[in-house]
Amino acid sequence: MHSLHSRLLLTASLVLAGFLGATGLALDKAFRVSAEAAMQERLQSHIYALLAAADEDTDGRMLPPQQLPEPRFAKPDSGLYAAITADGGETLWHSGSLTWQDIDLNERQNPGERRFSRLARAGMQLYTLAFGVAWEDNAGTESLYTYTVAEDTSVFEAEVDSFRSTLWRWLGGMALALLLVQGFILRWGLRPLRSVTADLQQVEKGHTDRLHGPYPRELSGLTSSLNSLIEHSKSVQSRYRNSLDDLAHTLKTPLAILQSSHADGSDADADRVLVREQVERMDEIISHQLQRAAVSGRATLAKPVAVGKVVDRLVHSLNKVYREKQPTVELRLDPSVSFTGDEADLMEVLGNLLDNAYKYCSSVIKVCVQVDKHSDGIEISIEDDGPGIAPEQVDGVLQRGARMDETIPGQGIGLSMANEIITLYGGRLSFAASPLGGALLRINFGTTD
Amino acid sequence: MHILVVEDETRLREQLRDQLRQSGYVVDVAADGEEGLYFGEQYPLDLAIIDIGLPKLSGIELIRRLRSHDRHFPILILTARGNWQDKVEGLETGADDYLVKPFHFEELEARLNALLRRASGWSKPVLDCGPISLDTGKQSITVSGNAVELTAFEYKVLEYLMLHAGEVISKTELTDNIYEQDYDRDSNVLEVFIGRLRRKLDPDNTLTPIETLRGRGYRFRLQANAG
Repeated sequence: MHSLHSRLLLTASLVLAGFLGATGLALDKAFRVSAEAAMQERLQSHIYALLAAADEDTDGRMLPPQQLPEPRFAKPDSGLYAAITADGGETLWHSGSLTWQDIDLNERQNPGERRFSRLARAGMQLYTLAFGVAWEDNAGTESLYTYTVAEDTSVFEAEVDSFRSTLWRWLGGMALALLLVQGFILRWGLRPLRSVTADLQQVEKGHTDRLHGPYPRELSGLTSSLNSLIEHSKSVQSRYRNSLDDLAHTLKTPLAILQSSHADGSDADADRVLVREQVERMDEIISHQLQRAAVSGRATLAKPVAVGKVVDRLVHSLNKVYREKQPTVELRLDPSVSFTGDEADLMEVLGNLLDNAYKYCSSVIKVCVQVDKHSDGIEISIEDDGPGIAPEQVDGVLQRGARMDETIPGQGIGLSMANEIITLYGGRLSFAASPLGGALLRINFGTTD
Repeated sequence: MHILVVEDETRLREQLRDQLRQSGYVVDVAADGEEGLYFGEQYPLDLAIIDIGLPKLSGIELIRRLRSHDRHFPILILTARGNWQDKVEGLETGADDYLVKPFHFEELEARLNALLRRASGWSKPVLDCGPISLDTGKQSITVSGNAVELTAFEYKVLEYLMLHAGEVISKTELTDNIYEQDYDRDSNVLEVFIGRLRRKLDPDNTLTPIETLRGRGYRFRLQANAG
């Protein structure tokens, strides 16, 4: 069951079939009950008519009816039968219709009581009603009789059958109509999904660069996430391509230098220095481009990363590395601050900045992680009591790596790397002088939504 | 000083082994994590250099197992990627320092020296015992402020003795930690080195920094200066 459409259609059809089936059965049953009640009524009225037709002799004793109220009683095999049973159990009288039938309708009922039943007699299905009567003669003696009337069920069954066929024809028609309507509703209701799929195929084929919509409210979350994913993968792709381009280009320069030095036959010591210089340069180029390409950038589906925890881990690790120096690290970390993005990226930014602080501080480092009151984003500040960065150096420090041809000796590419990642996440890295005496680096990330 | 190098790249492994031996260390090499674990557990090591990306057993896992088997020698990790996640993971697992490839051998040696010194309980890079001062960073010696020229082997002998100042170091321990194991132990080269060291450090024979304890070994007699 891999299609929503067939799933919905199947379940809805099953529910529909169950509902209509149950309705049909209930109606059928109800009709049968009411038809049987009507049958009983009819048989009762036949009995009353027979009673009315009964005569009495001069002593006031009952005589069986002579004038039959219903001609069918007289007609043999008419399907309507009657019999009167005396108190002793012997048949006092039976209708003419019973003449050729060997049907025993003898029954005893107390006066005023009746019994309605369905019988199978001599290969026939009959509804019978037995009714007990007390007849008082002139002497005041009571005689008990039981009037029994029976009717063949064939008429009744024919009625029920005709009702049944009408009922099921209607229900079937309704089911068909409902199925058609439901199929139409499903097609219509699921059309946005199909259009998203078609749009996605367009994106895949490269005919369009995003899902344009409009899509219904229930889908807009999905489509906007898809759009961010598409954009994200595009930006990653272009970053990879750019990095590869840059890598190839920037590596060419040191390679050219090495190649020409090899050709001009200068002395071995100078060569060694040159090789060393250029190898270092190539290493820097590679690690810079590698890290730049590895940054995931702002991802919409990333789970939030607790900033304080990352700072804690880094400080713990750096304390180990800089055990000799043992700077005092003052941490003010708001545990509720979290960063929406890749943990590795955040670690790269904070690792580079903290490493610089450890490297350049003389004994004190201060790290503060808090909610930025102005923008509701994140503010991370790292300061130390080292020599600091002069304002005119800032650009150079940040540009390093971006312009690998002009190298500034003695400075790692950490800061420019961090700056690049921060920019990718739409954040900002700013420099100030710390009250501690060294540099104060402040990172601001806006709210990510 | 006995050092284990665990590195899968043959060229780099052999380079490191040769350079470290040249600097006077005793070096064992392993090409993968499992071999590294064997050496780390079976040999008395002073330090291990472990590459993060190893076959069979990753560097991180190797460090974890060594530490869980109570091996407390310092560990320096080598990482090619140089990203902070690797570094932090390595340091959290039990490494003491990291170095990003490629590196200069001088840088590696400086880190090794610092780690070895710290493991011996010296917190500063300069070991001061009385008038004798040994700078592990610059690998230089001064006596009462005057520079003393030592050969690499003499330096290693003195460094080992000073790192363990006050302790008796047997000849075997000293040779084991200064030379390769296949070195001829019966020769009296060590005595010759000690004799030369004594003459260079203490030409007037007034200080007698290195004691000979008959049948037991040597002891650097001067205690570390306070502070």
